[in-house]
Amino acid sequence: MIQLYNVTKTYRKDSSALKDLTLQVGKGEFVYVTGASGAGKTTFLRMLYCAERPTRGQILIDGQNITRIGRHKIPYLRRKIGVVFQDFKLLNSRTVYENVAFALEAQGKKRYEVSKKVYQSLKEVGLEHRLQRTPLELSGGEQQRVAIARALVVDPLILLADEPSGNLDRNVAAEIMALFKRANARGTTVLLATHDHSLYRRFPRRVVTLEDGCLAGDHRPDELQSPVF
Amino acid sequence: MLDRFRYFMLRALRNMRQWPFLCSASVLTMAVALATVATFFLVVLNVQQMATRWSEDLQVVVYLDQAPSAQQLSSLLREIRGFPEVAEVDHISQQEAMSRFRLRLGEEADLLDGVTADVLPASLEISLASQYRNRAGVARVVERLAERVAADGIRFGQEWLERFDAFVGLLRIVSLVLGGFLLFAALFIVSNTIKLTLYARRDELEIMALVGATSRFIKIPFLLEGAFQGLVGGLLSLAFLSLVFKFFLVQVMRSFWLTPAGIDLTFLDVNQQLMLVAAGVLLGIFGSLASLRKLVQL
Repeated sequence: MIQLYNVTKTYRKDSSALKDLTLQVGKGEFVYVTGASGAGKTTFLRMLYCAERPTRGQILIDGQNITRIGRHKIPYLRRKIGVVFQDFKLLNSRTVYENVAFALEAQGKKRYEVSKKVYQSLKEVGLEHRLQRTPLELSGGEQQRVAIARALVVDPLILLADEPSGNLDRNVAAEIMALFKRANARGTTVLLATHDHSLYRRFPRRVVTLEDGCLAGDHRPDELQSPVF
Repeated sequence: MLDRFRYFMLRALRNMRQWPFLCSASVLTMAVALATVATFFLVVLNVQQMATRWSEDLQVVVYLDQAPSAQQLSSLLREIRGFPEVAEVDHISQQEAMSRFRLRLGEEADLLDGVTADVLPASLEISLASQYRNRAGVARVVERLAERVAADGIRFGQEWLERFDAFVGLLRIVSLVLGGFLLFAALFIVSNTIKLTLYARRDELEIMALVGATSRFIKIPFLLEGAFQGLVGGLLSLAFLSLVFKFFLVQVMRSFWLTPAGIDLTFLDVNQQLMLVAAGVLLGIFGSLASLRKLVQL
């Protein structure tokens, strides 16, 4: 589903955010991307949805080489990818319904289809009773669930999450993880960037570790030591 | 297609409702900028009309050496009327010149008692066609007359004409420079205001791009919003302009030597009014487009 070959991203001559990264993620996999702050996790995810372009190397998503993809094709690529952020990135002036519907409207879906799917998606994350609230009226965990609903409402092939539980307490983080696991069980490939070791100890999956922009480790769940479960 | 347009319209209206302060700031900036440029245009328009009216008084007067015979006069008049620059020719006989002189002297007309009309020359008063009421037009008529007519003198107010020409030239340069400067300042202020209002909503633009909205999908509602704000700004500037015209401009211009009594100042005609509103719409669209190009980067 995701293939990276010798990907390098350089912002300045003397330092690279990613160095010669080669990695494959299969369809339906769940992968944690870990590493200290500044290791290159966010840059890695941003390159997958074309917010950044690699300086060198090739990136293939679902068989399509996106390295030199034209600007007008980027929106169509992004429709295959749901993205969740640590700071939620919701529109605070819009209702929960409008925030989620927005992703479908952007794809030109019909109104009846939009309302049906938005309701289903919000029900999935347990917020169907908060349709008309604005994000600021919700707790942090609820806001993140809205962001996840927005990412999942388009039935993405890939779900990218950048520190999705970074601002949330342990119990809420567990609820959020349950949603990612459920999406993954339905066949969505999930890449979750985190520096929280306890997350992948509690929910063991493949762990890719970045260090100074280089691939420092790639471990399957059975290779991880002392899992909680 | 219609469904799509309806969606864009609704989104544009909803955006304006959700951001009333930003929307009002754009509308007011456009209204003030347009009203400033339009007020300047209105003043220039009226001053130019005044200048045109003054130029209507421009005449070439030919003083004849000798009073011509009736036959000579009619052939001379026919010939002069044939000049392309000439609109009308009046023959002022010696008697007529004398009675005009008497009239001008008013109560002191007694001074002319005992003076015969022979002392005054007969003359031809030549009015020019509107497109030749300038220095070049007058020079051509004078040249033609000098070849055909035996005249004591040809008078055409050379000094006045030079001053008038200089005034019209200056007016044109000042209107162009000042008008261009005002227009540029208006465009600069409007485009920056729109940029600031859009900058305040950059999160929205970013999220739209993130969920796979195409550049067109992101931009169209903002352009519609810009067009609508431009329309309202244009209408407001028109209303403001008519108030300024009625209660300020007319009084100010009347108080100057620019407007002789009995001459009405002109307001913008219907086409010019429509152009002002259309300029508002275009300003809104292009101002938004320029800002969006920088802010919407997929």
